Amino acid sequence: MERTRRTLFGGLLALGLMTGLAAPSVAQQRTEIQFWHAMGGVLGERVDEIVSRYNASQAKYTVVATNKGNYDEVINGTIAAYRAKKAPHLVQIYERGFMTMLLSDAIVPVQDLLTEKKKQIDWADFIKPVASYYQYKGKLMTMPFNSSAPILWYNKEHFEKAGYSAPAETWQELEKQLYAIKSKGIADCGSSLAGDFFWSLIENYSTVNDQPFGTRANGYDGLDTVFVYNKTKVVQQVTRLKKWIDDGIMQIAGQGLSPEQLYTSGKCSTFFASTAAHGSVERNAKIKWSATYLPWEEGTTPRNSSIGGATIWALKGQKAEDYDGVADFLAFVASPDLQVWWSKVTGYVPITNKAYQVAKAEGYYKENPTREIAILQLNRGTPTANSQGFHFGNYTQSTFALRQEMEAVWAGKKKPQEALDDAVRRGNEILRQFEKIYAGKY
Amino acid sequence: MQASTSLAEKSLPAAVPATSRRRRAAGAGGTAGLKRAHYRNSRLPLLLLLPQLLILLLFFFIPAVRALVQAFVITDPFGNSVQFVWFDNFRALLASPEYRDSIWVTVWFTLTQNVLTIGVAGLLAFATDRVIRGRGLYRSVVLLPYAIAPVIAGILWAFLFNAHVGPLAYVLKALGIAWDPSLSGFDAFMLVTVAAAWKHICYDYIFLVAALLAVPPSLLEAAAVDGAGPGLRFYKIALPMIGPTVFFLVVMNFVYGFFETFAIVDAVTRGGPGGATMILVYKVYQDGFVHIDLGSSAAQSVLLMIFAVALTLLQFRYVERNVNYDV
Repeated sequence: MERTRRTLFGGLLALGLMTGLAAPSVAQQRTEIQFWHAMGGVLGERVDEIVSRYNASQAKYTVVATNKGNYDEVINGTIAAYRAKKAPHLVQIYERGFMTMLLSDAIVPVQDLLTEKKKQIDWADFIKPVASYYQYKGKLMTMPFNSSAPILWYNKEHFEKAGYSAPAETWQELEKQLYAIKSKGIADCGSSLAGDFFWSLIENYSTVNDQPFGTRANGYDGLDTVFVYNKTKVVQQVTRLKKWIDDGIMQIAGQGLSPEQLYTSGKCSTFFASTAAHGSVERNAKIKWSATYLPWEEGTTPRNSSIGGATIWALKGQKAEDYDGVADFLAFVASPDLQVWWSKVTGYVPITNKAYQVAKAEGYYKENPTREIAILQLNRGTPTANSQGFHFGNYTQSTFALRQEMEAVWAGKKKPQEALDDAVRRGNEILRQFEKIYAGKY
Repeated sequence: MQASTSLAEKSLPAAVPATSRRRRAAGAGGTAGLKRAHYRNSRLPLLLLLPQLLILLLFFFIPAVRALVQAFVITDPFGNSVQFVWFDNFRALLASPEYRDSIWVTVWFTLTQNVLTIGVAGLLAFATDRVIRGRGLYRSVVLLPYAIAPVIAGILWAFLFNAHVGPLAYVLKALGIAWDPSLSGFDAFMLVTVAAAWKHICYDYIFLVAALLAVPPSLLEAAAVDGAGPGLRFYKIALPMIGPTVFFLVVMNFVYGFFETFAIVDAVTRGGPGGATMILVYKVYQDGFVHIDLGSSAAQSVLLMIFAVALTLLQFRYVERNVNYDV
């Protein structure tokens, strides 16, 4: 019911926008480009700002941005609309939907489209883990939009009181620090478990420590990939997290409370979460906060972390002349100026090195050093087969299985190894189903 | 209302479909013979039925048939490739430990929720009679939860019992109960069950109050004169007389538990931790709408439908035997 009401409201809003814009579009023959996105609240306002900037910058196209709910709702809405032949031109889809979109037969690869439309884009300039995540056979399939990486947020005061200048670099040392902070009574809680811990603490743990997540280069080399994270250092990581939870070092906020609040209120000393939290941490934190790189295992050379976020896909089936506008808008989104602005107001990382250099030259990172951590972490070393990204089919579903199994570990229902084995078994069933559906397509 | 059913009800053969019997029970008045005399060769009844049938067709029969078809295929979300796989979706489900867990969670959830709802609603309804002052207020307060949207109710419960900030969680902890629904499957299960029951108590309450009103006060007074206390009067006199209503409510509670508790689960636990509150209908949603595994999701909804229909038939077959419509 709630859902219908929201869609209805969104629909009315879209209708209002369209009718509002209809008058000038008739006069100037502007072509409308529909863009569905998943950015709500402040982020949604920023998207509207991008669109109005673009619309004001030229006279041929009017991009109409519509918030279609959260990521799940956007991909579902898109699929329903596609089946009804009413799909939008552009749609923002999360990174986990990459394979579904790629093999859908419903998309136009953006690099091909923009090259065909003669847009000047330096394709080699995208931040490596961003590009590698969204590439297929060496070409970008979709336009990177909001990309983030997990970083380690910490409470400066807690660490200083315990006699540390900053969190340690390795998990082993950090563990000692967090236990010391608790035993000295400085904070009751060492870390707040983020809702997307499977991303910040398991997937990114694997990329930073160069551990394979699945065979066939994490799925890049074929649909016959199988998950293997039950045989890597992830077991050790999950065992550690379980110990932390049992000892009250790591706490779970639970439904009804956001994990970030446990950190920003000063209850928990650290928080492993996205750099995109900058916006809200800056606004809400009552503590002296700072951030640093994700820890790594003792004795390993840390690699780049992986990204999270979403991209903008161009969908097939629109009028041929509309694609000039689609390409034009995508080129606008990827332009360094816009990227710098977008990164500053949201906390997402700039997706091109050029945008990063622009912000750096302005001295932005001198003033906001924690904003640079994610991008330095993403640019650390050359991505390996283990750290370039994840190309697993129906990845939301296997991620969900992993999360469920992890919850069973936290609740003491399963041992870490047992739960990881089960998560891998369930994940592999999902991969085999995906392979069967898309046989011969990848 | 069921309590006032005519004598003719009892003589109906057991094979009459449940729905038609229910319609009669609702007091259509008169017998089948009378209807025939009035409406012979008339298209009017059909015409009157048409809008309702159309709605059923659009929102029930067409989706049901499509779900049935979908359950036998695997397809990519965009529908560009469809493979017929016979019973593979069902086989995969029945072989999956997670699905079997989900069945058990659903069984325990609907049973507990049912007992809790009927029990508390019955107590409140019976107490209505004994509240002399402010009866109107009492009734309104009891009915309030019905006016709250399930999602809002769920968020309220999740917050009130949040292990870190929930006031009621503090009370529980002060009482020495280790409480954390995000770490304990049992706590989460209890939380969802109680929240679902709380939301539905008012529904049962209205029916039970109405049914209790139909119990002749003379009988209760006579029993009181004979020395029966309130408890005994309820058990020996009121309960048998409201039997049909209770039976109807049990069926409705199961339907509610099976299909309508989705929003509460979504807001309170999201099926977690570790699937401890993953009831079947929520799993249908997860697999279908979040993970876009349409084949499996369709197969699940077909199975859920079969469970619900089978359970309802069982209830009519075995429980209704002991229900006396004749008082």
